[in-house]
Amino acid sequence: MITLNGIRNGVCFSVAFGIIACASAPPPVEKLTIAKTSIERADQARAGQFAPVELNQARAKLTAAQTAADKHDQELAARMADQADVDAQLAESTARAKQQEQLVTEMDASLRDLRDETLRRNSSGAGPSAPQPQTPPQQ
Amino acid sequence: MLTTTFKIGIVAIAGLAIAACETRPQTSNAIEDARAAVQAASSDPNVAKFAPTELARARNLLTNAEGDAKDKGAKDPNTANYAYLAMQMAHIAEQHAREQVAIQRVKAGEAERQKILLAARENEANSALSQARQAQVAAEQARNEAQNAQSEMAAAQAEAQRLANELQNVKSSQTSRGLVLTLNDVLFDTGRAELKPGARRTLDEIAQFLNEHPDRRVQVEGFTDSQGADGYNQELSQKRADAVATAITQRGIDAQRVRALGYGEEFPVASNADAGSRQLNRRVEIIVGNQNEPIPERTGRDVP
Repeated sequence: MITLNGIRNGVCFSVAFGIIACASAPPPVEKLTIAKTSIERADQARAGQFAPVELNQARAKLTAAQTAADKHDQELAARMADQADVDAQLAESTARAKQQEQLVTEMDASLRDLRDETLRRNSSGAGPSAPQPQTPPQQ
Repeated sequence: MLTTTFKIGIVAIAGLAIAACETRPQTSNAIEDARAAVQAASSDPNVAKFAPTELARARNLLTNAEGDAKDKGAKDPNTANYAYLAMQMAHIAEQHAREQVAIQRVKAGEAERQKILLAARENEANSALSQARQAQVAAEQARNEAQNAQSEMAAAQAEAQRLANELQNVKSSQTSRGLVLTLNDVLFDTGRAELKPGARRTLDEIAQFLNEHPDRRVQVEGFTDSQGADGYNQELSQKRADAVATAITQRGIDAQRVRALGYGEEFPVASNADAGSRQLNRRVEIIVGNQNEPIPERTGRDVP
């Protein structure tokens, strides 16, 4: 059975192959912009260092979305842009979480040093240093 | 029919193209993955606490995916897309929660650091205070000791002065051996060892002093000038010392407390070159010992 959608898809792909002109839906400009912005935010949150897999995936999908838009497959472009957006958000939140956990590790180490120093300087001072804190569970 | 087949083929190619672009498989597994991810995020109390918005968004997306799956089938690109978005949003919620938990721990750590620093400062202040107190006590002690030493010295000086005052008619001087009283030769005739009557008053005074101070011993030491033979001079000096010691014991002083020694022409106090100097050398010295102490022997010419 030939659906209206199917016909349009066919027409669009014909356009992609440069056979005939096609007046299809407009490209998902807003979604592409949102995805770009999210990627920039992730980049600024140092996702390139702390969540490179997620960030690269977001960039690859943004490229795919733009390619699809160029080829007038706006549905695919919209899906790819949405996915690029969430991938970038995940990259950003992962990078933030990892950096914050790094701060926790540094804080624990400096507390340990501080307790040791206090103990050394004054044996009647603070009690025994706390046990080494465990890293919180990963996702 | 040919065109229909052609169009279906095109759609199939489009589907393959989408599958190639989208990293997640376009199957019902996408929904299962999303369900699992949302389930995991929901079961973490920190996620509900710190990332409720993201969690709600993930649940909505999952509902959308499930609705699309019902309407269009699990393999529909929109279904798979919603499923993927739901899964990622669940992961984002988890990362938000993870970051917030870490932020809380850093805050708690900072509070702990302040607590430790405060305790350390208090400890240091306390130990500084106790050190200051100890130093104060030590200074007080040192001051007391110095005062004691000073007052002991003052008492010793006063005592020596008092003794000297008691013997105001006798030539006396304080030496390291004790109080030395010098009786010169006006008490004896030349070459004689008998005390002249003029000596009585001086000896009375000395005896009275010894009576008043029963805890002191005396040593009577006789000397001559350098005229005459050594043996004669030694004998004469011993006799003179004995005469003085006898006069003292005759005045009621226990002989145990009195010792007589003759030194002859040893330990002169003057040159022996003229009559005046020689007279100074003809003498008897009485050394009054310190309380309850024996009298040290003479060791040099410079004493007294």
